[in-house]
Amino acid sequence: MIPLSHLLTVSIGLFAIGLFGALSRRNAIGILMAIELILNAAALAFVAFNAYGIPAADRDAALGQTAALFIIGIAAAGAIVGLALVLAVYRHQRTIFADDMHLLKG
Amino acid sequence: MPLPLIPLLPLAAFLLNILVGRRLGAASAWVSVAAVAGAAALSVRTFLTVAAGHAVAWPAPGAGTWLPIGGDAFRLGLVADPMSATMLLVVTGIGALITLYSIGYMHGDPRYSRFFAYLSLFTAAMLLLLLADHFLLLFVGWELVGLCSYLLISFWFENPAAADAGKKAFLTTRLGDAGFLLGLFLLYTTTGTLRFSDLAAVAHDPSPWLGVAAVLLFCGAVGKSAQFPLHVWLPDAMEGPTPVSALIHAATMVAAGVYLVARTFVLFEHHPAALQTVAVIGGITAFGAATIAVTQTDIKRVLAYSTISQLGLMMLGLGVGSTTAGFFHLVTHACFKALLFLGAGSVIHGAGAQEVGQLGGLWRTQRVTAVTFLIATLAIAGVPPLAGFWSKDELLAAALHHGHGVLFLVGAATSALTAFYMGRLFLLTFAGTYRGHGHPHESPAVMTVPLALLAVASVVVGLPGSPWGGHAFQRFLGEPHPPAPDLAVMAFSTVIAALGLAAAGWRYGLNRPLLPAGLRAALAPWQRAAAHTYYVDELYDRWIIRPVLAATRGAFRADQRLIDGAVNLVGTGTLAVSRLKRWVDAVLVDGAVNGTAALVGGVGSLARRLQTGVVQHYLLLAAAGAALALAVALTRGGL
Repeated sequence: MIPLSHLLTVSIGLFAIGLFGALSRRNAIGILMAIELILNAAALAFVAFNAYGIPAADRDAALGQTAALFIIGIAAAGAIVGLALVLAVYRHQRTIFADDMHLLKG
Repeated sequence: MPLPLIPLLPLAAFLLNILVGRRLGAASAWVSVAAVAGAAALSVRTFLTVAAGHAVAWPAPGAGTWLPIGGDAFRLGLVADPMSATMLLVVTGIGALITLYSIGYMHGDPRYSRFFAYLSLFTAAMLLLLLADHFLLLFVGWELVGLCSYLLISFWFENPAAADAGKKAFLTTRLGDAGFLLGLFLLYTTTGTLRFSDLAAVAHDPSPWLGVAAVLLFCGAVGKSAQFPLHVWLPDAMEGPTPVSALIHAATMVAAGVYLVARTFVLFEHHPAALQTVAVIGGITAFGAATIAVTQTDIKRVLAYSTISQLGLMMLGLGVGSTTAGFFHLVTHACFKALLFLGAGSVIHGAGAQEVGQLGGLWRTQRVTAVTFLIATLAIAGVPPLAGFWSKDELLAAALHHGHGVLFLVGAATSALTAFYMGRLFLLTFAGTYRGHGHPHESPAVMTVPLALLAVASVVVGLPGSPWGGHAFQRFLGEPHPPAPDLAVMAFSTVIAALGLAAAGWRYGLNRPLLPAGLRAALAPWQRAAAHTYYVDELYDRWIIRPVLAATRGAFRADQRLIDGAVNLVGTGTLAVSRLKRWVDAVLVDGAVNGTAALVGGVGSLARRLQTGVVQHYLLLAAAGAALALAVALTRGGL
C-alpha cells in the first residue's frame, strides 16, 4: 500500500504547480486551468486522508470521497463561471490577459 | 354778485395760456386781455354796488370752510369794501391797458404766450390779495404776486442780470414776508382772529404785543413796497420787460404793502410807536430815493427810484395818521406811474436805448409818447389840477395838521426833488437833440392808445378827491368829515412843484449851472454817494452777504471734515476688521479643512499602491498571507 506521505507529496506538488500557474500565467484561461490543479490537489488530499488519517467509523462513511466529489462538482461550476467571465471580459476588452484587466486599479 | 369771478377770469386765462398758449400763438394775448377786461367790467359793477352802499361779500357768512386750524376754521371769504373796490378798479383798469400795451411791446418774443400767462396769473393773484377778507387768504395772494414778480423780472432769464435781479427781488421780499408771517402768528395768538372785520373790535386791546404785531406786518409791507432798508430789489427789478415794471413794480404789487397797512390801519392807530415807525421809514425812503433818482441816468432806474420815493410818501401819509391821504396817493400814483413806465417802454421800443445819454430830442419823432409822458411828469410833479397835485397836497396837509413838522418838511423836500428829477428826465429824453444812433419811431397804436387813456386818467383821477370834487373819494372811503382845504398848503405845494420844474428847466433845458460853484463842490460828496445809491448794496454785500457766504463755507468745511471724516473713519475701520477676518478664515479655518483633506488624500494615495487591479497580485498576497499565517501557527506550536 502506498504510504500517506507519498500521496500528500503528490498533492503538495499539484498544489504548488497550480499556485505557481495561477500566479504566473498571463492568460486567464491558463489561470483557470491552474486553479483546477489546486482543486484537484485538495481533492487528492481529501481522498488520501479518508484512507489513512481519520477514525474508522468516518472512513466507512467515506466523507473524504464525498468531499472530493463536491470539489469536482464545484470545480466544474467554477470553470463554467470562470470561462463565462473570461468570455464577457474578452467581448469588452478584446483581451484575456489578466494583467491587462486592471479597471479596478486605485 | 359773482365776486370770485373777478380773480377767476384771469386765472382761467393763465391756465389756458400756460397749457395751450403755444398753439394759440398771437391769440394768447387777446385771451389775457379779454380776461382782464372781463374782470374790469365785473369790478365796475362791484364798485357801483359798493358805492350804492351795499356790502358785497362771498360766500355768505357760515358757508363752507377752507382751512380748519385749531378750533378756528378759515373760509375762502372774499369781500369788497370801498377800499378794495377802489383797488379793484385800479388793478383791473391799469392791468387791462398794460396787457393791451404788451401786445405791441412783446411782439415777436419767443415766449410770447408765457408772458401773458404770467401776467394773467399776476392779475389773478393781485385781485385775490385785494378781495381777501382775512389775513391768510391775503397772504396767499401776497406770496403769489411775489412769485409772479420773480417770474416776470427774470422773464428774459438768458440775461444773467435779469436772472440775478429776479432772485434778488424774491429773496429780499421774502425777508419782509418772514416778518409778515411772524406778525400773523403774533396777531392770532394775541387776538384769536385773522379776519379784517374783527380787527376794529380787538384793536383796542392795550397789549403791547399788538403793537409788535403791527410792526411785523409792516415788515412785510417794507419788503413788498420796497421801503428802506429792503428797497434794493426794486431798481434791479427793472431788468424785466417794461410792461411788467409798469404793472407790478409801479402801479399794483408794490402798492400792496401800502394797501396792507391801510387795510390794517386800525391796529396801527392804537399803537403810536408802530405808526411812528411807518411814518419815519416812509420819510427816510421818500427823501433818500428822491435824491438817488436825481443822479440816475437810466430812464427806468430813475422811474424805479421815483416809485420807491412815492411809496415812501404814501407810507408817510399813513404814518401821520391819514389813511385816505396815503391811499389816495396810491391810486393817483398808480395811474401816472404806470403811464410813465409805459412811456419809457415806448421810448425803449422806439429808440432802442434806455440810457438818457443815448436819447434826447424824441419830441419830434415820438409825439404821442412825449405828450403823454409830459402829462404824467406834470402829474407826478404835483402841478394843479392834475392827479398828483391833489393827493400830494392831501399828504402834506395831513402831515402838517397832525403835527408832524419834520415829516411835512421831508415830504415837501421830496416833492420838490420829484418835480426836479422828473423835469430832468423829461428834458433829457424828449428835448434837445437826439444823441443815440438808432432810428427812433413812434410805437404802434396798440401801445399809444393805452398811453392816451392813462394820460386822461392821470388828469382826472385826482378830481374826486379834491375839495372841488367835494372830497367824494374820502367820503367814499368812510371819512365823513374831510379836512377843510388848506389854501396855504396848496399854494406852498404848487410853488415847490413849480420851483422844482423851473430848476430842471434851467439846468437841463437851458444848460445853465444851477448852483454856485462853491455850493456844488460842497455837495459833490453827497452827489457821489447818491449816484452810488448810498452804497446800500455794497454795505449789504460787505456786512450780510459775505459773512453769510463765509459762514456757509465754514459749515461746508465742517461737514466735509467732521461728519464726512467720521463716516469715512467708520468705513476704514470696518474694512480693516474685515481684512483681519478674511486672514483668519483663509489661514486658520481653511487650513484646518484643507489639512484634513490633505491627510486623508495622503493616506489614500499610500493605500492606493496596494490596489494594482491585477488579480494575480491579490492572489499572491492572499497566498503569502496564508503562508504567513500557517508559519505563525506552526511556530506557536500546533494548529
